Amino acid sequence: MSRARFTCLFILVHAVTASAAEDTLPRMPWGDPDLQGIWSNATVTTLTRPDEVDKLTLTEAEATAVEKYGLFGEEARREIDNLPEGDLQAGENVGGYNAAWIDAGTRVLRVRGEPRSSIITEPLDGQIPYTLMGRGRFYWQGYKWMTRHDNPEERPDGERCIVGFGSTGGPPMLPVLYNNHYQFVQTPSEVLILVEMSHNVRTIRLDSEHLPEVVRPWLGDSIGHWEGDTLVVRTTQFHPQQNLRAAIKHQVYMTSDSVVEERFTRTNEREILYQFTVTDDSIYTQPWRGEMTLRTAQGPIYEYACHEGNYGLPNILAGARQAEKE
Amino acid sequence: MAPSRILAPLCMALCSLIASHALAYEPPRTAGGKVNFSGVWQVLNTANDSLEAQPGRAAQVLRDGPAVPVPVRDLVALGATGAIPPSIGVVEGDVIPYRTSALAQREQNRANWITADPEVRCYLPGIPRANYMPHPFKIVHNDDSLFFNYAYAGAVRNVALTDPGPAPLDSWMGQSWTRWEGDTLVIETTGFNDRTWFDRSGNYHSDKLKVIERFTRTSDHTIDYSATIEDADLFTRPWTIRMPLYRRVGRDEIMLQFNCVEYVEEMMYGHLRKEPLD
Repeated sequence: MSRARFTCLFILVHAVTASAAEDTLPRMPWGDPDLQGIWSNATVTTLTRPDEVDKLTLTEAEATAVEKYGLFGEEARREIDNLPEGDLQAGENVGGYNAAWIDAGTRVLRVRGEPRSSIITEPLDGQIPYTLMGRGRFYWQGYKWMTRHDNPEERPDGERCIVGFGSTGGPPMLPVLYNNHYQFVQTPSEVLILVEMSHNVRTIRLDSEHLPEVVRPWLGDSIGHWEGDTLVVRTTQFHPQQNLRAAIKHQVYMTSDSVVEERFTRTNEREILYQFTVTDDSIYTQPWRGEMTLRTAQGPIYEYACHEGNYGLPNILAGARQAEKE
Repeated sequence: MAPSRILAPLCMALCSLIASHALAYEPPRTAGGKVNFSGVWQVLNTANDSLEAQPGRAAQVLRDGPAVPVPVRDLVALGATGAIPPSIGVVEGDVIPYRTSALAQREQNRANWITADPEVRCYLPGIPRANYMPHPFKIVHNDDSLFFNYAYAGAVRNVALTDPGPAPLDSWMGQSWTRWEGDTLVIETTGFNDRTWFDRSGNYHSDKLKVIERFTRTSDHTIDYSATIEDADLFTRPWTIRMPLYRRVGRDEIMLQFNCVEYVEEMMYGHLRKEPLD
């Protein structure tokens, strides 16, 4: 071996060793970053920015105020506990959930330590940039859900126990009022994400091709690859009925051909930086982006057997039939 | 003593040693050295129709005909697609050892299969049934996780790697944890509710059910699978089912979701439509 080649090798080995020593990122045995475990995206920060706020980044004092007095802050969470006392009388509003069910997070979303006023980072106003047509479709689907009780398949996907409420299963995976847990498991060729509500599993096939277009899975068809230490996932081919994703904490309208790009970067032992871009020229004036932090959570995730105990859907339909008779 | 009388047995012993060594299958392993069960698996039998041996018949539920039993009215239209092929069964000892008092419920389940089998309603399948339904399932296995994802109903099973103690609440899929017996993966599951069945023939259990499964890789494409059922309320003794699981390969290795919740809405809620269909 020539002296130059030896030196070169030495430098190379030294560089690899040095970088290995600095690399504290948990890794799978085959070298990919380790995303496995149970994660939560619960936060009092909402998808879109509240009207009274005009900036993305909050001061610590503002964050503390949101945690106490914001839309899902400490005070508001107490008000969600609005179940009437005693037996309900006919025609009385059943109210919402009592506080024991709610686990919407207690803290403002912090991305890279920075308190945020919304999950959406772009456009700069923190709102979903619907076209006129897109906004029309959003309101029309919402109106139908509010007013139509003729057939089971016209009710929201969450109410039918097909996927969780809103966009909890995503993508993009957004926080809801409770059950904000996800479990990641992975192999060299796949990353699976179990969504707590309603035990939906999204399988991200790495370095693969999309399914035939006629196959439209709930939560879409996800293809991924690693860009350095970031998992990049492209999802489209959504089920045509997974269009309006409405929960108490967010409302998003998408189509079956919307494209979502997600980026998962494990930044330390306790956090994954989760970034997403939603693109759909047919309903948005521009792509919109968001950022969140997924934090490690205590397991296990318990079974969310939604369909097996779905008294809500038949009772909503039966109630509507009864109302028609009266 | 002639040398051949010593050499021959020696040679035979040596040969059998070499042969057994050559035949011993060396399975894929995780980085930590445990046998790795990752893959997409499925049975090639009709255990989901019936765990016990059965003759072929015209439908899952029959009624008396003028000469031989015929399908009940609701199943007539299915023709051959609703007919049940014969099977030799998967129960060791052939017969499930029900207590006499528990058999009547099995017969009632059988007669009411169309409305009573949780599978018809797309309810979570429970264990062990999830493993021998006519749908694939995926195992993701490494040193930190053992995760089962079933195509049917999107059922999942997250297996704890150490004993978590008694299940805090009953569930459809139960609470599972794993231990090893050599290269055999043993999964113990308890914490079930009493609402799942073992098959379409009405075989059932109580919430006292405990299932001990054993997975042994016998080749790159097969697992020797057994499940021992303990439920003293219903059975006179523990009993065991056993069958191979086959690995799907190539283009078949993909597992698509079978979220049947949307497919049973007409059956479950059709009568509540504003205008019920004919």
